Amino acid sequence: MLEVQDLRKRFGDKVALDGVGFAVRPGEMFGFVGANGAGKTTTMRIVMGVLDADSGEVRLDGTPLTYDARRRFGYMPEERGLYQKMKVAEQVEYFGRLHGLGRAAARDAAGELLERLGLAARRDDAVEVLSLGNQQRVQLAVALVHSPAVLVLDEPFSGLDPIAVDALAEVLKDRCSSGVPVVFSSHQLELVERLCDSVGIIAGGRMVASGAVDELRDTEGRTLLKLVVRGASPGWADGLGEVTTDGDRQVLLVESGDDQEILRSAMRAGEVEHFGRQRPTLAEIFREAVA
Amino acid sequence: MNGLWLVADREIRTRIRTRGFLISLGLSALLVVALAFVPKLLGGKDAYEVAVVGAVPVAAQDVTYTKYPDEAAARKAVSGGKADAALIDDQKVVSEGELDQRLGLLLESAHREGKIKASGLVITPLQVETGATAQYQSVRTGIATLLVMVLFFLLIYSSMYVAMGVVEEKGSRIVEILLAAVRPWQLLGGKIVGLGLLGLLNLAVVIGGGLIAASATGLAADFPPGMGGIVISTVVWFVLGYAFFSALAAAFGSLVSRQEEVNSVLTPMTMLMTLTYLVAYFAAVEPEGTLARILSVVPPFSSMVMPVRTAAADVPIVEIVLSAGLMVVAVVAVLFAGARVYNRAVVRTGARVKLAEVLR
Ligand SMILES: Nc1ncnc2c1ncn2[C@@H]1O[C@H](COP(=O)(O)OP(=O)(O)OP(=O)(O)O)[C@@H](O)[C@H]1O
Ligand SMILES: [Mg+2]
Repeated sequence: MLEVQDLRKRFGDKVALDGVGFAVRPGEMFGFVGANGAGKTTTMRIVMGVLDADSGEVRLDGTPLTYDARRRFGYMPEERGLYQKMKVAEQVEYFGRLHGLGRAAARDAAGELLERLGLAARRDDAVEVLSLGNQQRVQLAVALVHSPAVLVLDEPFSGLDPIAVDALAEVLKDRCSSGVPVVFSSHQLELVERLCDSVGIIAGGRMVASGAVDELRDTEGRTLLKLVVRGASPGWADGLGEVTTDGDRQVLLVESGDDQEILRSAMRAGEVEHFGRQRPTLAEIFREAVA
Repeated sequence: MNGLWLVADREIRTRIRTRGFLISLGLSALLVVALAFVPKLLGGKDAYEVAVVGAVPVAAQDVTYTKYPDEAAARKAVSGGKADAALIDDQKVVSEGELDQRLGLLLESAHREGKIKASGLVITPLQVETGATAQYQSVRTGIATLLVMVLFFLLIYSSMYVAMGVVEEKGSRIVEILLAAVRPWQLLGGKIVGLGLLGLLNLAVVIGGGLIAASATGLAADFPPGMGGIVISTVVWFVLGYAFFSALAAAFGSLVSRQEEVNSVLTPMTMLMTLTYLVAYFAAVEPEGTLARILSVVPPFSSMVMPVRTAAADVPIVEIVLSAGLMVVAVVAVLFAGARVYNRAVVRTGARVKLAEVLR
C-alpha cells in the first residue's frame, strides 16, 4: 500500500502543499484531480523523491520510501523528457536496464510494450521525429518497461488520441489487476470516473475529498431528485426546483423536499416518465469541492 | 556501480558517433602529425645536388657533385631545378634565389678543407662533448609546448561536453526519470567517466599519431631518453586534470537549464583553464623558473604545469609526488562539492540557480 501522509511544502512564501495525504491499496487505481496549481505535480514529485517535502512522509507497505524502493516505481513526470536523438526502442531498453533489468529482459520488455502502445513500426526512429502524442507513448513505455511495483503518472492521458487513451487504459488496468497501486493525475474527469476505483480531490494544497468513487458520489455533493414529466402545463412545478423544457417533456431537478408529495403533484400535472435519485457526477463533485 | 557503467556506456555510444567527436579526433591527430614534420621542413633539405664545373672539390656530407662541361650548362641545371647550386672552378657559387644556408656552409668548409689539404697542414677536428640535458633541450621544449596545447584542448573540450550533457538532461527534464532509476552520483559519475574515456582515446590517438609520425620522419632519433615516462605522466595528469575540471563543469552546468546559458555560466571555469594554460605555456619555455616551480605543485595549475615541466626538464621526484598528492586532494574536494551542487541544482529547472544557495 502506498501512503502519502500529511505532506507540507512551501516555495518561498508560497504554500504549495498544506497537509496532503491519501492511500492507494495494491491493485487500486487512484485518480488525483484538482485545479491548475492545486499541488498535484508537487505531491507526485515528492513521492518520487525529485523534491523533498518540508514535512510529512511517503510510505510503501508501512515503511518510509527508500531510494531502492523508489527505483521499482514507474514515473511519468508532467514535463516530458526523453533523449531526442536516441532511437525509440534503444531508449526504452536503456531505461529498463537503468532500472535493473538484464540486457535480454530489457529488450523483450521494450519490444512488447512498444507493440502494445502501437509504436512497433517506429522502434528505430529517433524520438525527435515522432509526433507529440507518439513521444508521449514512448514516455509511457519508459515508465512501464521495468514492470514497476508502483505507478506514478502525472497527466498520462493528456495529448493522446482516443485510440491511445484506450490502449493506455488497458495497460494500466492490466498492471493494476496484477496488484500494482496506480496513481495518476488528470483533468479529464469522465476518464477518471470511468477508470478509477478511488479519487482524491486537491484544492489549494489541501485534500478536500478522497475515497472510493461510488462512496464520494453518495456522500459528497448533492444527490438530486430527478423527474421527467410529459405533457405537463408550464408552471406546475414553480417553487419545487429547477425545470428545463425539452419539447413536451419537462425535466425537474429537486434538491430537497418530500419526494412522494412531489411525485403525486407530477402525476397530476402530466405523465411521469422517470422518477429517481440522480447521483452527482465526479465533475459535479469536483466543481462543488473546489468552489 | 552498474548504473554508472550503463550511463558511461550510453555516453560513449552516442558521443562517438557524432561528427563533432570524429572531427576533433581527426583534427588533433592531423595536428600532431603535421607538427612532427615541421622540423624536417624548417631544417631544410638533407641532400643536395651541386653542379660542378672544373675541379671537383673535397667530398662533403649530404652533397652530391655532378660534373658539367661549362658554366652555361651548370647555370641551366640550377635554374631548371636539377641542381641546388653550381660551383664554378672552385671559386664561385651560383644559386637560384638565396643560397641554402647549410649548403653554403658545407661548400665553404669543403672548399677550405681542400685548400688546407693542398697546403699539407693537418688539423684534427674539435671534439664536441655535450651534457645530456643540453643535448635534448630544444626537443624537450618542443615536446613540452606541444603537450600544453594538447592537454588544454582535450581538457577544455571534454569538460565542455560534460557541461553540455548535464544541461541537456536538465533542460529536457529527462533527469527526473533518470533520477528515478539511478542515484545522482551514478548519473554524474557515468557521464564523467564515459566522456573521460573518450578524452583518453583522443589523447591516445594524439600520442600514438605523434610517435608514429616522429619515427617516420626520423625525428624520434632526437627524442630524449625517458619518453615513456613523459607519456605516462601526461596520461596520469590528464586524468587528474579532467576529473577536476569536469566536476567543476558539471557543477556549473547544473545551474542552468538552457544550452545558450552554458558558456556564460562556465566562464569562471574556462578562465581558470586559460590561466592554467598560459602558466603551463611559460613553464614549457622556462621549466626551472620560480613561477613554474611553484605553480607545478599548486592545484589545479599543476595538472598542466607539472606534465609540461616533466617533459621540459628533470623534476625532482619529491616535487612530483607532492604535486600529485595535492592534486588528488583537490580532485576529491571538487568532486564532492560538485556532486553536492549537482544534486541540489539539477532538478531545479527554470531560472538560473544561484551557486551560493546550493552550496550551503
Ligand atoms: N519550483 C517552484 N517554485 C515556486 N513555486 C512552485 C514551484 N513548483 C510549484 N510551485 C507552486 O506550487 C503550486 C502547486 O503547483 P503544482 O505544479 O503542484 O500544481 P498542479 O496541481 O500540478 O497544477 P497543474 O494542473 O497546472 O499541473 C503552484 O502554486 C505553483 O505555482
Ligand atoms: Mg501539474
